[in-house]
Amino acid sequence: MAAQGTTQPAQEAAGLVVKAENLHKQFGRLAVLRGIDLEVKPGEVMCVIGPSGSGKSTFLRCINHLEKINGGRLWVNGHLVGYRQKGDRLYELRDREVAAQRREIGMVFQQFNLFPHMTALGNVMEAPCRVRREGKQVVRERAVKLLDRVGLADKVDTYPAQLSGGQQQRVAIARALAMQPTLMLFDEPTSALDPELVGEVLDVMRQLAVDGMTMVVVTHEMGFAREVGDSLVFMDGGVVVEQGHPREVLSNPQHPRTQDFLSKVL
Amino acid sequence: MTQLDENEAPGQAQPETIKAVPVRHPGRWVAVFVLAVLTAMFVHMLVTNKAFQWSFIIDNAFRPPVIEGVRTTVALTVFAMIIGIALGIVFAVMRLSPNPILAAAAWLYTWFFRAVPRLVLAILFGNMAILYQKIRFGFPFDTWLADRLGLDINGTIFSIDARTFLSGFMAGLLALALSEGAYMAEIVRAGILSVNPGQNEAAQALGMSRLLTMRRIVLPQAMRVIVPPTGNETIAMLKDTSLVAFVPVTNELFFRLEAIGSRTFQIFPMLVAACIWYLMLTSVLLVGQYFIERYFARGAASERAGMRLRALGGSGG
Repeated sequence: MAAQGTTQPAQEAAGLVVKAENLHKQFGRLAVLRGIDLEVKPGEVMCVIGPSGSGKSTFLRCINHLEKINGGRLWVNGHLVGYRQKGDRLYELRDREVAAQRREIGMVFQQFNLFPHMTALGNVMEAPCRVRREGKQVVRERAVKLLDRVGLADKVDTYPAQLSGGQQQRVAIARALAMQPTLMLFDEPTSALDPELVGEVLDVMRQLAVDGMTMVVVTHEMGFAREVGDSLVFMDGGVVVEQGHPREVLSNPQHPRTQDFLSKVL
Repeated sequence: MTQLDENEAPGQAQPETIKAVPVRHPGRWVAVFVLAVLTAMFVHMLVTNKAFQWSFIIDNAFRPPVIEGVRTTVALTVFAMIIGIALGIVFAVMRLSPNPILAAAAWLYTWFFRAVPRLVLAILFGNMAILYQKIRFGFPFDTWLADRLGLDINGTIFSIDARTFLSGFMAGLLALALSEGAYMAEIVRAGILSVNPGQNEAAQALGMSRLLTMRRIVLPQAMRVIVPPTGNETIAMLKDTSLVAFVPVTNELFFRLEAIGSRTFQIFPMLVAACIWYLMLTSVLLVGQYFIERYFARGAASERAGMRLRALGGSGG
């Protein structure tokens, strides 16, 4: 919150949840992102597809500053991610300010990354209790409600190791929602799941989209992208090759690289 | 899952449970016989060899001076381990810090205190009063600066006599605790490195600070790796407390038992008494370790995996 109080929302990104402008990211000499321009509007569900190594996960991780960008600009809710601008100069944000920015953004990982030493309820309650210092009783009620919403009301006191992959991922979604984020990032949320468990996670995400959550979803689930997505982005080699409405891109891809990729996965 | 429901499989009748002749193990029987004979010989020797002086051991091993020695030994072990673990956590976190100066300082500390033997450290700290008459707390370099500038300033806030502060117990405790801190730093570092980096990322993504992530997410999981070697260290520490006799600390367990031995010329029985005391104390520590390990293993394995493990253990459970 402190970080946001000190900077005025930038004019360039007004009214957008995410705005990326000529975004670059290198790992050593390897250029992973080579100029990304994207905009996500409030309530929009953007699906990002592309071959592995295309930079789609890296782009997602840049949005909540798990990766530091090397060039370009990135705004979330009108605020620069990881930096403060005064005149022409950029100042790095302190760890505390970066953490404050991240509270607005929920993230769901491919490998769930639940805290194994805490129960499902403990996982969901941890951040609201410890980071936002809300009252335990209030958080508990909200957490139970969230677990009920993802269909796990009966698993409240269960440890992650005793849950199936699909159940774990649903707890992870509830954990991210407990911080009441304005934006949810999904990094291949169903890629580590058994095929028969994919549906239950996608159902939760679909409901979240219906409820109006702004979402950026890196996925290989073309069915989900077509049904739920408001926009579809195809990335390859660190750039956005093609974007548009999911139905149009999937049924009538314009770029040969997109056509080639879709012919292999559809 | 493995329960078979008779109503469930209409097509296949439940076959007869297999009754086969088990594999024989003659080698095991030979080993059991040899061990039994050796054990009998050993017990026979314990009972019949007069040099053991069992009645003398029983009379002397529990006398008040020895009990006081036990108290000192336990206190040294507990305090040295508490300080050592605290230092270990601090230096492990420093060692893994992105700040190269902190990392280098932590490395230097572990390098020095792992390189110097505990016995040497104990004697060194015992003689520290040669180096300092007084231990003063205040502003650094105050007297040195005062000399240079020709001023009369004194930055001392309070001071104590080195001999009073560095009593035998304190000197011994410092030597053991500082040495332990170096070993614990390496154990804690291994524990922290064993935690999946995804855990760190998940905590960061929730907006948790570095310190909070370490305290609430990483360290509790690292404990599973840290606790077993720490149990080892505690047992080693219990035994190494006998080194402080060289500081010298005269109210420590082994010193007390040996003193009785040399005074009465019954040296061997008192050595046996020392073995018995250390065995008893170590056994208590092992019980404690069992419960601590069980606590930090919560959520680590599913119930089904536990069942499978117990099944592998066979008759052991």
